[in-house]
Amino acid sequence: MINLFQFIPEIFILSLILITLCFGLFNKDRAISLNTSGFILLSILLLNYGKDFYSSTQMSLNTINLFVLSKIILSIGSIVFILLLKRPLKNENLYRYEYVLFLLFAILGSFVLISSNNFLTAFIGLELQSLSLYLMAAFNTKNLSSNEAGIKYFSLGALSSGFLLFGISMIYYDTGSFNIQNLDNFTAISEIGLSLVLISLFFKVSAAPFHIWTPDVYEGSPTISTLFFATLPKFASLIFLFRVYQELNISDIKSLNYIFQMVCAISLLVGVYGAITQKVIKRLLAFSSINHIGFMLLGIMSYQFMSEGTLFFYLIIYLVTTFGIFAILLNLRTVDGEFTKISQLNGLRFTSNSKSISMLVFFFSLAGIPPFAGFFAKFFILSASINDGFILLSIIAVLSSVIAAFYYLTIIKNMFFNKSEIELLDDNNKTGKVIFISSGLIITLFFIYPDPLINLVDNLFK
Amino acid sequence: MSFPILSLLILTPIIGALTLSLSSSTQLKNKTIFLSGLWITTGEFLLSLLLPIFYDKSKNGYQFIEFHTWFDKFDINYYVGVDGVSIPLILLTTFLVPICLLCSINSIQNRAKEFVIYFLLLESFIIGVFVSIDLVIFYVFFEAVLIPMFLIIGIWGGENRLYATFKFFLYTLAGSVLMLLAIIYIISKVKSGNIELISDFTFDQQIELVLFLCFFASFAVKVPMFPFHTWLPDAHVQAPTSGSVILAGVLLKLGAYGFIRLSLPFFEYASIYFQPIIFALSCVAIVYTSIVALRQLDMKKMIAYSSVAHMGFVTIGIFTLTQDGINGAYFQMISHGIVSAALFLIVGVVYERHHTRMISDYSGVTNVMPKYSFFFMVFMLSSVGLPGTSGFVGEFLVIMSTISVSVYLTFFTAIGVILGASYMLLLYKNINFGDLKSDIKQLADLTNIEIFYFSCLAFLTILLGIYPKLLFEMINKSISLSII
Repeated sequence: MINLFQFIPEIFILSLILITLCFGLFNKDRAISLNTSGFILLSILLLNYGKDFYSSTQMSLNTINLFVLSKIILSIGSIVFILLLKRPLKNENLYRYEYVLFLLFAILGSFVLISSNNFLTAFIGLELQSLSLYLMAAFNTKNLSSNEAGIKYFSLGALSSGFLLFGISMIYYDTGSFNIQNLDNFTAISEIGLSLVLISLFFKVSAAPFHIWTPDVYEGSPTISTLFFATLPKFASLIFLFRVYQELNISDIKSLNYIFQMVCAISLLVGVYGAITQKVIKRLLAFSSINHIGFMLLGIMSYQFMSEGTLFFYLIIYLVTTFGIFAILLNLRTVDGEFTKISQLNGLRFTSNSKSISMLVFFFSLAGIPPFAGFFAKFFILSASINDGFILLSIIAVLSSVIAAFYYLTIIKNMFFNKSEIELLDDNNKTGKVIFISSGLIITLFFIYPDPLINLVDNLFK
Repeated sequence: MSFPILSLLILTPIIGALTLSLSSSTQLKNKTIFLSGLWITTGEFLLSLLLPIFYDKSKNGYQFIEFHTWFDKFDINYYVGVDGVSIPLILLTTFLVPICLLCSINSIQNRAKEFVIYFLLLESFIIGVFVSIDLVIFYVFFEAVLIPMFLIIGIWGGENRLYATFKFFLYTLAGSVLMLLAIIYIISKVKSGNIELISDFTFDQQIELVLFLCFFASFAVKVPMFPFHTWLPDAHVQAPTSGSVILAGVLLKLGAYGFIRLSLPFFEYASIYFQPIIFALSCVAIVYTSIVALRQLDMKKMIAYSSVAHMGFVTIGIFTLTQDGINGAYFQMISHGIVSAALFLIVGVVYERHHTRMISDYSGVTNVMPKYSFFFMVFMLSSVGLPGTSGFVGEFLVIMSTISVSVYLTFFTAIGVILGASYMLLLYKNINFGDLKSDIKQLADLTNIEIFYFSCLAFLTILLGIYPKLLFEMINKSISLSII
């Protein structure tokens, strides 16, 4: 008898999808308010009863905490995203309630992915998530580059799903089981299978050298979809990667461990070197996210030292920063349409106080310069990795962040030192403004008074 | 400790900056903004005067200690305190910042509010570096200093300011991230970031060498020592006058302070091991940059190179590892902080009136600006090291302490003094004497404000030169503790 109790979050989202579908027949405008309240309810449910959902299962307390925390983050992230999405889509004449549906499916997929203990379930979750993402990439059907982004994402994504399935089948051939926990005695075949699984996951989190799709898709898609790709699905895939790493004790398997370290180093370097010459801000952010993925992989590898806390601290700060940056980007428009180039940011200091100062905070935080929370995020990852003996990787990581500082400074230079060339229109989106200002405050306050965040992570992993 | 004076010192400028930033900029005139900035920084200076008054010179260790847990889980604490080594530098900072604001009232016309805000933030971060006795917050403040400085040079700098400010930021950042790794390693070994605890800890010798080099990378860029000094002339030339003043006056001292506070007590073995290399680099710095300074056409660049040479004395003095040497180096730091700041102000005065810094554009200034020439002479002589001025004491002690190490070292150091005298006298002669150029005739002499801050600086220079005991009393005990 399956205990349905542990599926409550997923069932909740599924029913939200069904309600939105039915509602959409009659009243298309209510989708946003409906789903916002739905996700608020879900966050409250998870915060209060999250652990009880899984109490009947045999999973360890740590795993349960991981599930609950990541689902809380996902649903809070969804609230922010849903609040943000209406205005930018309307500006592009793209607003349809189906967009919210894709979002819901992607979140449902992410939920399934995070809490799956079985490779096949994970595959289903990942596919559900990815298919919605392809649609979101190509949502601007009249725009050529958006279509291109969708097709590129889809074809490469399908390839990586193929890798995933092939890897899973090899593991099944070898061990006779799809379970993620249950792989004690490895042979060469399941090692190869597992490396294929890892490659597919690296693709999803856009770790180099499996990152080729990232800049193109980021650039081509509508900016609001880019924000989504950069945050929530990536977060979910990363958590799953973390679980695979932990449950299968990849640190003990020499070959896979080697792959992991290589990917981490390459991501750190490709991320910074790719970003230096970029002129389009979304491409720059794509490369910078690859660099940050390198840091997160470093955090995954050294989880033994300070447990999950360091990784989650980094992830939360990264998510908040990304939401903040994109909330500003979505708020700015040029006369001809969406604003794309870094040089169009010139002179933002003179037109908008709040935006330029928040941008300053975000980019210095991404560069890891105190006094912003990004510094401690990097600090903890580095101290965990040095304690676990990854000295060379840590050196690569800090040097890469010096190079990263160069292009973050270039953006700040454009905003603060240069005179503006073209007029940027302010969208005057109130929700967007609230979101980026509060993100900026969070980034600064978590530096000065980090107790709430640390305690949250701490309590969940006790 | 009941009264949190150090936290107050850190927070006052920040709160001032916040209040300023919340006030609406359209209603305030530039002058009001600068005046409010001046009130805040003068208050800060008076507050910092409490430190030497209530500091108990007979006690060992840190005083005015405050301890708060910051990250419980990771053993990072907000742990501040001062001893004899930090108090004079704090005073120097709080003394120079109001002068920086005073000298910019006329020259900074656009975005005055931002300017004052960045200076206030800069002040509190610098004070943070000097008061922290936990490695992590030391690093936090050490890095945070870069942000306001980056903006100050980038917004109000000269025409090539972008290149200069990027070079400044990235150079310093590259040095300090290596220090960050070393700090993390040390904390993981010692299980604490407390400076006193780490001083008692003995590292494995090979590892100690590596750790020393990591710290060295950061401090050598900041000081700056010879091969890492190339950012300094650029930054100085492009920075506005006030930026140069704070850069030469205080920021360069962060590196030397780091050597005294962290490198010496942590890495005793490595300090002795690397002694010859540091001496060699410092000698090159003294002789080479002095010769380079001789051939400069730009006044600011010349003084920037002279800064590198003078900081060479400081590093030599520190690494003689004797009481006299470090005392001398420390005295030279403070003296250089006052004198080079004053010299940059001197350049700023004529630049503001004549809009050129080329030495060849000036001649016979003493005919139209006698008061200016007088103050110029005082600071020039102090920079040369004339007995009776503060420059003499530091150089003398450093040269004296080098004899115990090596006579060759003494030789090169002494050559530096001669070269220093030649380029400074040359600069003074070319600008002040000679025929009066026609386009200089309309230059106005010093205003009352300028006379005010120049006399303050001159008074300090001569006071320290005549009565150096004032400073030595403060630092003797703390420095004797940091020697092996």
